Amino acid sequence: MIEIRNLSFSYLNADGKQKSEDPQLSRVNLKIAQGEFVLVCGPTGSGKSTFLKTLNGLAPSFTGGLISGELLINGVDLLGSEPHEFSHLVGYVNQQPEGAFVADLVLDEIVYSAEQLAVSKEQITLDIERLSKLLDLEDLLQRPLATLSGGQQQRVAIAAALISGAKILLLDEPTSALDLQGATEVLNILQKLAKTEGVTILLAEHRISRVIGAVDSVIVVHGDGSVTKGKPEDQFNDARFAPPIIELGQKLNWSPLAITSKDARELWQKAPAQFSYREVSKAGELVLETRNLEVSFGTLAAVQSTSLKLYGNQITALMGENGSGKTSLCWAVQGSGLRTTGDVITKSGDPQKLSIAERLGVLTMVPQRASDLLFLHSLADELHESDDFAEVPAGTTAALFQKLAGRIDTAIHPRDLSAGQQLALVLSIQLVKNAPILILDEPTRGLDYAAKRALAKQLNTLRTADRSVLLATHDIEFVAMIADRVLVLKDGSIVQDMSPLDALGADKELASQISEITDQPGLITIEQVIA
Amino acid sequence: MSAQVTKEPHFLSTSKTHPGAWWLAGLALALSASLSSNIFVLLGISVSAMLTVRLCRDDAPWSRSIGFYLQLGLIVVAMRVLFRIIFNLSDASSAVFLRFPGISLELGFGNSIHLLGPISYLSLHSALVDGCRLAAIILSVGMANSLANPRKLLRATPGALYEVATAISIAINLAPQLIASLKLVRRARGLRGHSKGIKSLTGIVIPVLEDTIEQSMQLAASMSARGFGRKGNRTKEQLAIARVFTSLTLILLTVGVAMLLFSAGQQIIDLAVILAGLICAGVTFKVSSTKSSRTKYIQQRWQLADGILLSISGTVLFLAFTGVFS
Repeated sequence: MIEIRNLSFSYLNADGKQKSEDPQLSRVNLKIAQGEFVLVCGPTGSGKSTFLKTLNGLAPSFTGGLISGELLINGVDLLGSEPHEFSHLVGYVNQQPEGAFVADLVLDEIVYSAEQLAVSKEQITLDIERLSKLLDLEDLLQRPLATLSGGQQQRVAIAAALISGAKILLLDEPTSALDLQGATEVLNILQKLAKTEGVTILLAEHRISRVIGAVDSVIVVHGDGSVTKGKPEDQFNDARFAPPIIELGQKLNWSPLAITSKDARELWQKAPAQFSYREVSKAGELVLETRNLEVSFGTLAAVQSTSLKLYGNQITALMGENGSGKTSLCWAVQGSGLRTTGDVITKSGDPQKLSIAERLGVLTMVPQRASDLLFLHSLADELHESDDFAEVPAGTTAALFQKLAGRIDTAIHPRDLSAGQQLALVLSIQLVKNAPILILDEPTRGLDYAAKRALAKQLNTLRTADRSVLLATHDIEFVAMIADRVLVLKDGSIVQDMSPLDALGADKELASQISEITDQPGLITIEQVIA
Repeated sequence: MSAQVTKEPHFLSTSKTHPGAWWLAGLALALSASLSSNIFVLLGISVSAMLTVRLCRDDAPWSRSIGFYLQLGLIVVAMRVLFRIIFNLSDASSAVFLRFPGISLELGFGNSIHLLGPISYLSLHSALVDGCRLAAIILSVGMANSLANPRKLLRATPGALYEVATAISIAINLAPQLIASLKLVRRARGLRGHSKGIKSLTGIVIPVLEDTIEQSMQLAASMSARGFGRKGNRTKEQLAIARVFTSLTLILLTVGVAMLLFSAGQQIIDLAVILAGLICAGVTFKVSSTKSSRTKYIQQRWQLADGILLSISGTVLFLAFTGVFS
């Protein structure tokens, strides 16, 4: 059991001495019972990660900052202890398992914590047997971690966190880098752990809709220092992070709100609402075409003889499981990535054969790790540099950035911006270059619904200006909101090219949550529903 | 993942050998190189280090880094020769190889400095040897870094030296990570376009450093969250003694090797210092392993391949000591 009393946490100011004026957590009081399954949510950058990290000492040990209050785990106050003093009580799993792995083989990775805690060999053998059965890892124990899928890697990370005997599990957005199948795999395991093993689970998660039906309670980290805990149906008054299912209920004044898809379906069938037609814009002229494009890394063929056509006035979504070749295709089309054979044709020639400056006149791209493009010491410098480079009037980038991210103090270091703000900055820098084609690789990772809506609005503006956007993503709800065309990539080949109304419809593999609930052909996103 | 063919690793491949064996072999080669001033031996060591990487590496990200070490080695050789030509130590007794117009600078104190001027064959040769020696050392360490799996090394560290060895392993891990991240960031930089002047250099350096440090911190946080660094059931005194002897071991070994490399004097004294270091290491092991605070569930065993590797590099080192290479 966890009991938090008067917990406050704040980062230090840049001078390293003074406490920052706006605390991340301020006088938080809550209790979490043994075996409770808790969803932790809140808008982007509100401090969900920090909150989780205070519960096993990673904050302030690895983040810096000041902490005060009481943190009782099974009745003992552990506030201020080092993370290793929590390891037999609390397990921790983060977003990117590959960064946190200490071994190469699955078995070595799982036993690490037990070895550190001097658990006897006999006991370790028993625990491995139990956990590998529970997490369905029996056939994977001797495999190298690098050969596993994302979902399998996260299951290994969960086993590795529980082998110490910990009965509390903290997970910081464990599915944000996973495709639909991987995410489902991990979330199913968590439900099983909570139900049958009595493990207390605190899950910070953006794919709220997939778990909300299974959790006992919801903790909201509001971003102003306050943290509240309550029933799922009472916690989503803030539209910044309310999932589509809650938003639908609020729009149609359902009382009480439906939490599970099943309940929502019943309520919808009782009184289906009107909905507007989801517009799909007509393709403009052909701006880019690939012929027999292939990318192979050694023996691995990432992209196979792909013919992709991009049109102006159109947003094309590129979907597919992890490892299906989305990122390789984006980089090959952009011109600086590896290309084994084939041609990319644009009006100005093949991007691969153009100089960097010429290429930027044809297309710009925002990669998965947008922060790689930021290197100056302040937001003001970045904005200024961007205006200079694109030879646009001073303030152009800043104006665009403000539209996407709101007003932000430009003295801030770009590294201190939240993921969403960094994305907005890089997007603004790329957009002022004014190229006819924009490629976005997983742009919605780590964004809350409000940030996604701002991004969608901007992409709409681009479409109206006759640009072409290629959007590689797992995010079905975002595609439902914005795309004109959905391509599905499988094993490096495009296997589907259709309208989002068909691709994301009910009973389809990529069905959006609204399609699943309403089962109405042509209705795929909450925006269409008329209250 | 499509069309992935897995090859059966051959017996010297990195997945089968002990990472410690690669580091010992690499250090033995580096030590041999530092003891030699024969340019053919130095070239031989450099080439064999590169060939070994080519033959034994697998698809791990860090195994692609040898090209980076080769570039570094070539730069070092070029710099050495260039500096010798510019800061010319005139040497009248030997045959002149190249004749540049020279400048003498009177500083008002000490000897005057000669820039350029006639350069002798002997002087150029010694610069070339110096450069090649450094390059051979860089490539030997590069070989170990490309072939030793850093995560396996992290696991294989002996319990007694745990804290220090882990710090070293993480430091070793940094170089391959830096190189991998350099490639990613350079590619991403192309997306933004190159701005003029020094800015493009900071545009690479800052994200690379940030990325590398962040990754190391993430690894460290993960290890800590999973119990690394717990005192276990060792007493405070035992911990203190172990720490003192670990530090002594490191200092003595480092000083001993440095003396061996840089002093022209008594090898006996150098060897005595190294021996003292090894004795301290023994004490550390003894003190720390009296009460085990960790379980070794899986042990990385030394295999025949490791033995062969060590005997080859050991022979090279022995030959270097006996002066065959000088």
